[in-house]
Amino acid sequence: MTNLANLQLTERGELRHFLTPEGLDRLMLERILDTADSFVVVGNQEVKKVPLLRGRTVVNLFFENSTRTRSTFELAAKRLSADVLTLDIKTSATSKGESLLDTLQNLRAMHSDMFVVRHGDSGAAHFIASQVTPDVAIINAGDGRHAHPTQAMLDMLTIRRHKGQFEPLSVAIVGDILHSRVARDQIHALKTLGCSDIRLVGPNTLMPQGIESMGVTTHKTMDSGIDSVDVVIMLRLQTERMECAFLPSAGEYFRLYGLTTKRLAQAKPDAIVMHPGPINRGIEIESAVADGPQSMILNQVGYGIALRMAVMSMAMSGQMQQRQAHANNPPGLIGEQRS
Amino acid sequence: MSIIIRGARLIDPSKQLEQVTDLHIKDGFIETIGDLTGIHSATEINANGMILSPSFVDLHTCLRDLNQIQKGTIASETQAAASAGFTHLCPSPDTQPCSDAGSVISMIKSKVAIAGFCDILPVAALTKDLKGTQLSNMESLSRVGCIGFSNANYDISDNTVLLRCYEYAATFGLKVFVQAQDRQLGSGQMHAGPTATRMGLDGIPVIAETLSISRHLQFMQHTGVSGHFNQISSAAGVALIRQAKTQGMNITADVGIAHLCFTDTAVKGYRSQYHVQPPLREESDRKALVAGIHDGTLDAICSAHQPHESAAKCAPFAATAPGMATYDMLVPLIQGLVDTEDLTWTLAIQALSFNSAVIALRKTTSLTVGEEANLTLIDPGHHWTLNSSSQLSHGTNQALTNQNLKARVRLTIKSGRITYTM
Repeated sequence: MTNLANLQLTERGELRHFLTPEGLDRLMLERILDTADSFVVVGNQEVKKVPLLRGRTVVNLFFENSTRTRSTFELAAKRLSADVLTLDIKTSATSKGESLLDTLQNLRAMHSDMFVVRHGDSGAAHFIASQVTPDVAIINAGDGRHAHPTQAMLDMLTIRRHKGQFEPLSVAIVGDILHSRVARDQIHALKTLGCSDIRLVGPNTLMPQGIESMGVTTHKTMDSGIDSVDVVIMLRLQTERMECAFLPSAGEYFRLYGLTTKRLAQAKPDAIVMHPGPINRGIEIESAVADGPQSMILNQVGYGIALRMAVMSMAMSGQMQQRQAHANNPPGLIGEQRS
Repeated sequence: MSIIIRGARLIDPSKQLEQVTDLHIKDGFIETIGDLTGIHSATEINANGMILSPSFVDLHTCLRDLNQIQKGTIASETQAAASAGFTHLCPSPDTQPCSDAGSVISMIKSKVAIAGFCDILPVAALTKDLKGTQLSNMESLSRVGCIGFSNANYDISDNTVLLRCYEYAATFGLKVFVQAQDRQLGSGQMHAGPTATRMGLDGIPVIAETLSISRHLQFMQHTGVSGHFNQISSAAGVALIRQAKTQGMNITADVGIAHLCFTDTAVKGYRSQYHVQPPLREESDRKALVAGIHDGTLDAICSAHQPHESAAKCAPFAATAPGMATYDMLVPLIQGLVDTEDLTWTLAIQALSFNSAVIALRKTTSLTVGEEANLTLIDPGHHWTLNSSSQLSHGTNQALTNQNLKARVRLTIKSGRITYTM
């Protein structure tokens, strides 16, 4: 079976799919961040376009609703000069009974070059990259509760731009770790980039079993969790968690795990506060903190476009190399398991 | 019909027999055991280095067919069973239509008889359509040959209904088969542990199994029903069965071959071939299952064969159908356990044949002169590759496809007739 690194990289070690930071080495993650840094500058120019993906077709496949992630991917692709098609699959093919496999094969037949995929099932992007359309670059825009690598990497970009090195940092990730597709990727990326003090904070009902095996510590209280940390990453809490008995009430959650000015004082004075958005004011975070000087929440949004431009351009370049290398050796049948 | 098997290692756990000798089958029965030099037959097998045992009895399998022929037919799956050394099968009631009526059982039995590879001892549905609300016609179903009643993977949530099921079964001395997994806690896709956490898949905690075992044990104790637990998957589950047996309860249990051989880490990379229910658990659980076979807590090894068409496994992991087609790889998997010294062939044969026959047939099987000739001959040193041309099951969900395997059934004999030959 293809391992995660081999699946995401070309034979020459270039990125061709971006599914998760797991399995990618530090050099590759730093290259992604360096490339993203260069695109931050593009966003500040009067003409915000570069021609890197001119003539390429990028299809945004959103099997789940997401206004924010979808629009930043769309903007990133347009700034790279790609032709962009955004499909809300939920209301089209699959609701008519077409399988994921058939939907993708149809899109592949239209000579698409890249799929940006968001899907409710963990492993969906991995499945598409390994078994359905290996010759189309796949960017994972979130799969189930498994991964959301561009969000995690834009968080890394935010941390690096404001804190520099990862090694000396203490990072707290607070809230619904269990259902978070971002938290797992943040842990993988932080570990690979050299951060050794990663703390997860939340009640047992929101803490996945065996998470300590990923090299993190778990904390039941904010007091121990954010004490003297450099970075506080707050996770979004879906309101339906109360209905499914994960939590008693939003009020109790905020009292125990909400980030207030008073609590933030326990972190280092120059600690930064991050949140993937959209934020629930008064549930995860107090407005004074969300809008305060330590908040990086809006910076994250801007970096998100640059980061997505970086992975899209890198994966497209890798995929093109791979296609050329295999020009005389066509890929296997669609749906066939690759060894 | 006369068959002579020469020079095989005969293993019969019922008599603690392990001996290299010859065996002669005539007119469906074992005619002679011993040196047959000078005696000849139209069919003679040189079985040097091979193992000859009483044939295998499978306590849990899915034959598909009826309305699921895209997954496998009774002809294809019973032939695959014969190639794994089985002569008797206990198919699960989750057929389509459900095995809750005499007419369905009769149809399955007639198709099995026409195929001619195995005999079946059906396990019928405990409740109508496995819905957990209305009792099936248990007494009538037992009259058409059903050896027990199960609600398959559909745990009955309502304790009142479950009590009635047990009380009714107790009235007629019927056996209840249990797939112990709490419905709500068992709604995930794989074992709850570090691997599930990393992969972002919903976990099924061990307590999903132990809670269900404890609950069913209480009903069995309360009603006096004789119970059999299919596919125990966890160390804690083995411990509960062991404790109940120590207390003198009339229960038996089996483990699926996949759970004896694989763990949850096999799922890494979203390998849907390892998506099974109950889920593959951790190495400590696997070791406890092996220990359960050794000390007799787990009486039997079943195939838990569940063939699927390729589309059922070709989707994101959570959307794939659980189950593994195991018949084509069962004997190589057992050989693997023998090679790692987890099991001996004697123990494996006890679990695949002797004990499972006692549970399903209520009689022992043995290599005894005068006994009906139901035999399995295994070549433990045979090297081969499992692929689409060598496999007999229609299921494409074989975890070991395209791998080089060791050991294979050379011959399966049912009532003196060869039902499979390599």
